[in-house]
Amino acid sequence: MSAALNHYQALAAAAPQTHAYQAIGRERLSLVELPNRKQEAWRYTPLAPVLDHQFTAASREEGLLEPEDIASLRVTPADHVCIVLLNGFFMPELSTLPPQVGLEVLDLEQAIQHSAIGIERLGSLSGACLDLFGAVNAALTGSGAYLRVTEKLTQPVEIIHLNYSFESEVLSNPRVLVQVAANARLNLIEQHAQFADLLSMSNGVTEIFLSEGAQLLHPRLQHDSVRTRHLSHLYVQQAATSVYKGTSLALGSAWSRTEFHLDFVGEHAHCELNGFYLAGEQQMQAMHLDVLHSVPNCTSRETFKGILYGHGKGVFDGNILVKKDAQKTDARLSNDNLLLSREAEIDTKPRLEIYADDVQCSHGTTVGQIDPEMLFYLRARGIPKAEATSLICQGFAAELIAHCEYPALEAKALSILQERLAPVAAKL
Amino acid sequence: MLSIKDLQASINGKEILKGLSLEMGAGEVHAIMGPNGSGKSTLSKVLAGREEYEVTSGTVTYQGVNLLELSPEERAHQGIFMAFQYPVELPGVNNTYFMQASLNAIRKARGEPELNSLNFMKLVRTKLKALEMDESLLKRAVNTGFSGGEMKRNEILQMTLLEPRLSILDETDSGLDIDALRMVSMGVNSLRSPERSMLVITHYQRLLDYIQPDYVHVLSGGRIIRSGDKSLALELEEKGYGWLQEEAAA
Repeated sequence: MSAALNHYQALAAAAPQTHAYQAIGRERLSLVELPNRKQEAWRYTPLAPVLDHQFTAASREEGLLEPEDIASLRVTPADHVCIVLLNGFFMPELSTLPPQVGLEVLDLEQAIQHSAIGIERLGSLSGACLDLFGAVNAALTGSGAYLRVTEKLTQPVEIIHLNYSFESEVLSNPRVLVQVAANARLNLIEQHAQFADLLSMSNGVTEIFLSEGAQLLHPRLQHDSVRTRHLSHLYVQQAATSVYKGTSLALGSAWSRTEFHLDFVGEHAHCELNGFYLAGEQQMQAMHLDVLHSVPNCTSRETFKGILYGHGKGVFDGNILVKKDAQKTDARLSNDNLLLSREAEIDTKPRLEIYADDVQCSHGTTVGQIDPEMLFYLRARGIPKAEATSLICQGFAAELIAHCEYPALEAKALSILQERLAPVAAKL
Repeated sequence: MLSIKDLQASINGKEILKGLSLEMGAGEVHAIMGPNGSGKSTLSKVLAGREEYEVTSGTVTYQGVNLLELSPEERAHQGIFMAFQYPVELPGVNNTYFMQASLNAIRKARGEPELNSLNFMKLVRTKLKALEMDESLLKRAVNTGFSGGEMKRNEILQMTLLEPRLSILDETDSGLDIDALRMVSMGVNSLRSPERSMLVITHYQRLLDYIQPDYVHVLSGGRIIRSGDKSLALELEEKGYGWLQEEAAA
């Protein structure tokens, strides 16, 4: 297994050095331990699918895609800002970048070179807990997206992450830095997609800083192809009275893990974190939550749902930590799962760790099957069994998906879901 | 329309229906009354095709077809509708979408063209208006967070949309206030016609003031122990079931 570590250290050493941040990653790489199942954070996540491959660093792949290829993927109108990160590289020729008051968009590399406002924050959230993949991302970060919002934007901004290459077993390391200034507002829609069924890995890190009174609506849809390995680290830091509402829909990939790290640094902030995962044949979807209430009077809602079928496997590992000073915290964590087969598996572990004495916190989890009462009701209304089963699953997911608050993205997610579930429901 | 002969049915090995026979002609409204545990709900569930109930003996023939061989959805396609005693919540499933899927599944099975959303909305609005119901019901998830009255209204809305040949109302009146009861009856009465039959299962005579039955049957111990016209319902209201049960036992 240390072969994997040697491999990534060699990749990092060979990568072009464009800025100081990479040095932190390289240094970390010499210190980190390989993730293993003795570590709590990796206990339920099978590691072979990512450690058994010697992925090579992706390149920019200029000219491989045309702007029209992007048009078919977008969920926002064609004239809105849309940033394309191909294999982690910022692609201006594929992106739509009309100037917009209150919005600054840069290639992360340029932002570093030109010392863009707040660039020193890069790595300040992710740096503290760099594991192997975090370190790999840092060491290989070249390009990426830098966003800074200073107004209440009415138009949404879309980021499309694509993995695409002629090579196989390619690793991309998309990196995104988002800063929403005081009382500014942004709707940031992210998609992870692929054009070809390649075995590749995406290892992304996103850091989000919300200043006082800032608001971010952040729906994300991951519909990578079935052989992809997908890893996302999402870090959010919230100042006083800021509001973050994130909804992550993980539908694709062979192996997918999303880590959410939320940190309240000011009072009266609110966070709503929603997640949906779909894991079918040979798929693994993991969601990890690490919500830290260290200041008083903040509220958080974490709602996660999953549908598992075939030999699909899901992992939910959610932790809310309420520190001693975080009085009047109000936090609710829930995880509900629908299992459609005997072989499907969910390992769910919602946790509350509370050190303050005046708080309202709850956590709960359910694991269930298709409710025979619901099924009978639909069939008694003439809807055939397979269609009825699929409808129940879609309803279960739709409640969560509606949190995206962006109909075009919701419709896309629901149609992918319907397409995936129809043949499954027909066989039940 | 419907012919039930010596029907015996059990659930989890417990026999509930013990030789029930009933003949229903087209255009007739039959009321089934009876004390708790007499098998009223079991009868409706067996007719609608609930698989947990095992039919151990007897026959059910509907329009010349062996009903017991049909799946629940096939029964719906053939024109059978059961208004549930406890309608089921379907979180996340939009009520309009559900009703359109239901109507179109039935139309498709009958080889009729499916209705597009526009035409369906026109139709459902007409039905809502006739039942004096609020349109907000259409935007919500099926029965989710509905009050008891709203659920029953929603059942009747579906019934008037699907225009079934045989409607089974399983204690649709239980828990309803007078206004809701009036509305439910209005829906049922609007469907009365020489081609349609209705089986109204109820605890109380009250509903039968609004929906006048042609026949009243008393179910007790899994059998029909007395049949009569609507005056039987009035007699039951006055005397209870005790005297009939004693007679049947004698």
